[in-house]
Amino acid sequence: MTYIGAEEIISPLGQNIQENFEAVRENRSGISLVPKVGFNKEDIHLAKIITLIKKNKFEFLLIDILEKVLKRIDASIIPSEKTLVIISSTKGDLDRDISNPFAPAVAALMKYFNLKSQPLIVSNACISGVLAINAANNFIKAGLYEHAIVIGCDVISDFVLYGFQSLFAVSALPCLPFDKSRSGITLGEGCSAVVVSKTREIYTSSPLELLSGTSANDANHISGPSRTGEGLYRTIKRTLEQNNVSADEIDFISAHGTATVFNDEMEAIAFDRLNMSDIPLNSLKGYFGHTLGAAGITETAISIQMMHHKLLVKSLGYSEAGTSKTLNIATENRTSELNTILKTASGFGGCNASLVFRKL
Amino acid sequence: MRSITAYCQISEDACYVNGDVVAQKNEESPDSWFKQLYKDLAIEYPKFYKMDMLSQAGFLGSEFIKQTYPGLISSYAEDEVALLFANSESSADTDIRFKESYQDKGSPSPSLFVYTLPNIVLGELAIRNKFYGENMFAVLPKFAPDFFLQYGQIMFETGSKAVLAGWLGILEGKVEVSVFLIEQNKPDGLQFNKQNVIKCASPDDQA
Repeated sequence: MTYIGAEEIISPLGQNIQENFEAVRENRSGISLVPKVGFNKEDIHLAKIITLIKKNKFEFLLIDILEKVLKRIDASIIPSEKTLVIISSTKGDLDRDISNPFAPAVAALMKYFNLKSQPLIVSNACISGVLAINAANNFIKAGLYEHAIVIGCDVISDFVLYGFQSLFAVSALPCLPFDKSRSGITLGEGCSAVVVSKTREIYTSSPLELLSGTSANDANHISGPSRTGEGLYRTIKRTLEQNNVSADEIDFISAHGTATVFNDEMEAIAFDRLNMSDIPLNSLKGYFGHTLGAAGITETAISIQMMHHKLLVKSLGYSEAGTSKTLNIATENRTSELNTILKTASGFGGCNASLVFRKL
Repeated sequence: MRSITAYCQISEDACYVNGDVVAQKNEESPDSWFKQLYKDLAIEYPKFYKMDMLSQAGFLGSEFIKQTYPGLISSYAEDEVALLFANSESSADTDIRFKESYQDKGSPSPSLFVYTLPNIVLGELAIRNKFYGENMFAVLPKFAPDFFLQYGQIMFETGSKAVLAGWLGILEGKVEVSVFLIEQNKPDGLQFNKQNVIKCASPDDQA
């Protein structure tokens, strides 16, 4: 069996997992209107960590999150050849060196914690986080490592903001995932982590069981989601089949829900094709914004907390159905026994990924 | 038993398939090196011209493999071919151009922005070949045969029947490209081990 736990988050909502879950439980958003940051000096809604120092933010966050994770596990596994660090990120420290956005920060992380194995950087657009957790599970199941620390991190840059502005994909309001009035993403920044291991004893608090996950491509378009939800449909189907889990065993779906018109519609179609439209679902983008490489890990971390607290957290920003297939989107927090959770992600390049975790 | 059944390497001035030169750069040609290779393939795929160099590199490598080895497409079902790619530069070649678009040329270019993720090449290969299988793009400090060996093994063990893999070193004129196909239970090919991954894919060991 593979375990998952020791979840941590640094975001505009807090400096650790407790602060972040507390904010989410209170339905507070990390999104604020940041003056004059747009390409044409417009004010833009962002989930920005205002207190974050400017220089080498990416490296700072990687080290900071691993310090926090250390307190949640047997720290002696860190400087060990049996431990792999996997970093999920789309753009790394692009503002530091555009030609080499990852290596300096990763070298600093290795040195700081005396890591024995070269960290792996997974860079697959917005599925990077889910894919990195799946990779961690795969490395452990194959017997190549015993533990993996999976860190997701992306910071807001002019580069990424201007890019999404050029695609007319940035919402004027804080993003409204799955809502009728949704009109695009709100960018976020943050760093989050989970620890995946074959050894239950390394965790200071009870972990969950991580089942093997999969990925699938839409084979349709590099920047537009499939109209049939093809890749998302296929990855969820494969993940459930590989684990002999049926759709009616899933208590909750932590969806991707970027709040672009086409992405959310695509997800609704895929869930409908899988007869999963009745399963309670949320998107956490209304709390954290879209944190790109960190998103899948942040959302997994919050879902783990939801399971521990027996609390289904509402999908912030949603009020009226806005997809052609109706979904069961959580409109209020409610107490709920969550035993098995499906996490999904989709991204540019037509990529999709999914994973399942459950209570021991 | 797994083996590398076909491989294509592209340097700044030559293209090799299974170790043999199939094309050399014509310095007199008005066409770019990658456009010359595209023309050598004699295929109709106008989307090629929209791709950035990273995607073109993966596309050319896989198309040269298909020309000598059409089985890559015909032998497998839609979900059975996994894509396993890596480099050291991520999408920096296009990132630099996108940054220039908003810093020096007036406005951010959406057509460049969509290529500022290294995994876009996997999307291009999936679209071209109808590959609905597993995807993985990793950024490594330098070429690492163990990454391909380990994750290749994992992809087979988790249900993929073939792995199309590649190292795509593209940055400001540098071209260190290799694409190779790993299959199981084939009589031909090179055994899928560290030595042969280096032979087929290492930028320091091009044919």
